[in-house]
Formats: sequence, structure tokens, C-alpha cells
Amino acid sequence: MKLNKRNKKQIFEGFRYSTLTIWLLIVAFPLFWIIGTSFKPDAEWFAWPPVYWSDTPTLSNYANVWMGKEELAVTQYAQSMQKPWKALGNSTLVAMVSTSLSVFFGAILAYGVSRYQVLTEARMFQLLMLRMVPPIVIVAPLTLHYSTLGLLDTHLGLILIYFLTTLPYAVWMTKSFIDEIPMEIEQAAEILGASKWRTIWEVVLPLARSGLVATFLFILILTWSEYLLALLLSKTEVVTLPVELSKYEGSTEGRVYGRQAALAVGITVPLIFIGIFIRKHLARGFSFGMVRR
Amino acid sequence: MMTAIDLSSGGSTSKREMTRAKAIKRFKWITISPVVIVFLVVLMPALILQLYFSFFGWTVYLGSWWDAEFVGLELFQEVLTDERLGWAIIRSLYFSFGSTIGCFVVGFGLALLMYKPFRGHGFYYTMFIIPMLTVPIVVAYTGEMLLYQKGPINGILSTIFGRDINVIWLADANLALTTVMLMEIWNWTPFSFIIMIAGLASLPKEPQEAAQILGAGKLRVFFEIQLPLLRPVIILALILRFLEAMAEYPKIWSLFQGGPGSSTETIPVLIYLTTWNYFEISKGAAMSYVIMLLMVVIVLAAIWVLRREKSNLDHLYK
Repeated sequence: MKLNKRNKKQIFEGFRYSTLTIWLLIVAFPLFWIIGTSFKPDAEWFAWPPVYWSDTPTLSNYANVWMGKEELAVTQYAQSMQKPWKALGNSTLVAMVSTSLSVFFGAILAYGVSRYQVLTEARMFQLLMLRMVPPIVIVAPLTLHYSTLGLLDTHLGLILIYFLTTLPYAVWMTKSFIDEIPMEIEQAAEILGASKWRTIWEVVLPLARSGLVATFLFILILTWSEYLLALLLSKTEVVTLPVELSKYEGSTEGRVYGRQAALAVGITVPLIFIGIFIRKHLARGFSFGMVRR
Repeated sequence: MMTAIDLSSGGSTSKREMTRAKAIKRFKWITISPVVIVFLVVLMPALILQLYFSFFGWTVYLGSWWDAEFVGLELFQEVLTDERLGWAIIRSLYFSFGSTIGCFVVGFGLALLMYKPFRGHGFYYTMFIIPMLTVPIVVAYTGEMLLYQKGPINGILSTIFGRDINVIWLADANLALTTVMLMEIWNWTPFSFIIMIAGLASLPKEPQEAAQILGAGKLRVFFEIQLPLLRPVIILALILRFLEAMAEYPKIWSLFQGGPGSSTETIPVLIYLTTWNYFEISKGAAMSYVIMLLMVVIVLAAIWVLRREKSNLDHLYK
């Protein structure tokens, strides 16, 4: 009987680790492949049989994409390409500012909802519409509207629409953290004579700090990787990194996998670090009050 | 809670409380106004323009957009009888249902194996969330590098099965949409996984222990106790993933632009093509309106379900 139970446990452990390892391979192989390709010389991009591990790794893809060094014969398209540093600057500016605005005003609104029922629960759910109706249905008239306002191809234009489309997540996420702050602390601050805003600024927001950081980074992931709106609301000036990367695909010079990979790795690595940093908080953001603890 | 009650009942009280009520009212307005202002300035005019274009026929070849001719419901009629839109809706639904179910089955399966602590938990968890952190357009290009006909995936499959395997992942009209679906599942399984593992970890232990003491087997505990308690979380994971999949655009567009043939022409792709490749702004607008209404109905239904689940939970945990 005792042995039987132990065997069962061992079988389960074996099953667990083998299943997890299979999925681990499925997750890791594409990552391994794109990182590997970014270090491969161009003869190995399409080789058959595929080159799994390059014997002659090179940094030329990175030098080419990120420093504009062009020693291979693909100059024509390379010149038509914008320097990715500009795209990186645009992406950083747009994502940081829109995310900051979204989290800041989202947190204020969440505070209002949490303490003064500014929005009823029904309205809170309706707020989700801003996120859940696909942006493609509105982007054409939005382009026209933006061009009359002079917002087309500007940072502000992208920032405003990102602010609006990420706000529902910001409100829902920060609310779950603000709900947990005991009201007595605020009341104490008010009795001591602090104004409402001072209470929020000096008591509530600092107490919700870890939640705000998690929300910020989560929304940064969304704004950083957004593609459709960035593609259609920008022309030449405010090209962001995902749009910049997609330009390599349209090039007439054939596929340039190594270059794409070098750029893709550059785009993705910061997000992966951020994500690993906030992994413990991610679940809160998605749970919409459905996960109790 | 207290303040809200004070606010509603404080009518004929002292002057001081009057100013306090006023201040609270003003505060409430300030908290919501940034959202309202940006909505009114940015989105509202676009929504109105959309409505205008769906009733006034305009393409970029015809003069100024404000001189367009009123065509009534003609455009809606055209759009609603358009077989192409019908197919696009069917493809979008196929893609969304398929990827939602795929993400959920894999994500829930992994969560079941992982919600209790074990050696290596942190390592697996961290690795498993990485796909979600990968920019969708990068997922698309990585997929392309892996899946072209003489690429590594076919190479690995050939080695495993010991014969030459040549799946035409990217150029076969019957397979292309499923290929993107697989990429979507790879990309977003972490989302279902994270929600489900949080849900499983937060389940109360007492009912499970009680059932075990009464002699219920593991399977029975799972189906009759864990699963019903998890229902709100499961519904949430399915709904959110489904809605985000309906809007999926970067992967399908960057790899296929609707092709080969029209086999990956989902709703967002069709609207894009109509508006930006054929320049039929008004037709695109009418199409967008139809889709927007459809999505609003779907979202409202989803909200109704979510709210019902949430109020059940609120009762349960009171």
C-alpha cells in the first residue's frame, strides 16, 4: 500500500516534468531561433538543412541595423530604411508618456470609484468597451479627424489614443490595489488637516506604489507593442519600433531574416526584462475582481 | 462607504456640511473629467464622422468629403449583402474560437500541473510567461522564419518522424489561417495560464478537504468542487481572450495581407483593405459600423455574463 502510493507520486512527478518540459521547448525554441538568427551570417538564414547553431557567429546584423554599417550588398533598401534609433526614441516617448498619463489619471479615477462611487459597477464594465471594440472600426475617420486637428503623424496624436484605449485596464488594475488601502489611514490624514489632494498624493498613492508600478509596466507592454494605430496614424515622423520592423518585410530585396532578427531582439528584450520583473503582479491586472485572496 | 451615505442624506444640515458636499461633488467631477474630455475631443468626432461616411457615399476619387452625396441606407444594404464580409466574419470567429480554446486548454492544463509548489516552479513560470511579452509583430516574423517550407520546423518534424515532411504552413490557402492561429496560441497562452493559476491558487481549501474526508476521489473533487468554484475565472479568461483575438491584426497583416487568395481575410483585414487599398472610405465606414454594432452586442453580452459571475462571487465571499 505504502509503496503503491509512492509509485503513484513518482509517476505523477514524471508526468508533470515531462509535460512542462515539452511546453518549455515549444516556448523556448522560437526564442532560441530568433536570437540565433540575429547572430548568423546571411548564407545561413535559409540554409537547408537548417543551421541550428552557427559556427561563424557574427555581430554584423546588429551593426547593420543599429549602427547603419552596411558592408553587405543590400545598400539600396538600407538607405530607404529609417535609422531604428529614431523609432526607438519615438516608441520610448510615446509609450512612456501615454502609459504615465493612463496610470496617473486611471489611478485618480479608480480612487474616485473606490471611495465615492464615481462610476457604478455597470459603468465600470462599460468602460471596458474602450478596449474591447477593435480599433480598426474607428481608425479611418480618426485619421481624417486627426489630420484636421493637425494631430496626424505627431507624438501627441498617438499618446492621446493610447491613453484612451489603455485607460480601462489602468482603472481596473489600480482599483484592485486602492481598494485594499484601509480608509482609516486617509481619515486620519484628513483629521490632521490634509486636503483631499494632499491625502491622495502623500498617503494613498505611496501606499499603492507597488500596484502602480505593476500597472505601469503592464500598460507599457501594451503601448510598446501596439501596431495597427501606430501604422495608420503615423507617416514618416512618428514611426514606432513595431512599424519600423514591419518595413523590412515589404522590402523588395528579398527576405533579410538576420536583420529582422537583430531588430526584433532589440525590441523584445526590454519587455521581457520588465515582464519578469512584474510577473507576480500580472495576475492582478487581468483578474477584474474575479480572483479573491 | 460612510461618505457616500453622508452625501445622499445630507440635505438640510449645517453650512459646513453643505460646502463639504459641494467639495466632494467637485472632486468627483475632477476625477472623471480627463477621460471624458479626451473621449469627447478624440473619439467622439471620429464616431460622428464614421456615421456620416456610412450615409454619404464617398471614395477618395470624388472631390471633397463634405460634398459627398447622401445615399441613405444603400451602403448598409451593400455591406450586409456582401458575401465577402460574411466570410470575413466566419474566418474571424473561427480564428478567435480556435485560438481562445487552444490558449485555454494549454493554459489551464499547465496551471493544473503548476498551482501547487514544486521544485523548479519559479523557472517554469518565468519561462512560460515570456511569449506574452514578445511583441506580436516579432512573433509573426519569428513564425515565418521557423515555418517556411525548407525551414527548421519541417526539418525537426522530418527528423522526428524519420521521413521527409513538407507542410506548406505559409502558402497553403487551407492552412494559412490555422498557422496564424497556432502563433496566436503560442503568443497568448500565458494570459490564460496566469489567470488560471491565480484562480486555482486562490480557491478555498476547506470544501476540497471536506470532500476528501467524505471519500471523494481526486477527479470527483476536481469536477464537482474545483471546477464550479473556478467558473467565474474560466469565463473571464475565455471572454477576454476571445475579444482580443477578434481584433488581432499585426500577425495576420504582416504575414499574409489576407492571402493566399483570401484565406486569411478576417474582419480587421477586410476593413483595412476596403479603406486603404480600395479607397472605398464610405463602404469601409458602413462595414465598420456593422462590425462595431456586432462587437458592442458581443461585449454587452460578455459584460452581462461577467457581472452575473461577479455578483455570485460577491455573495459567496460576503
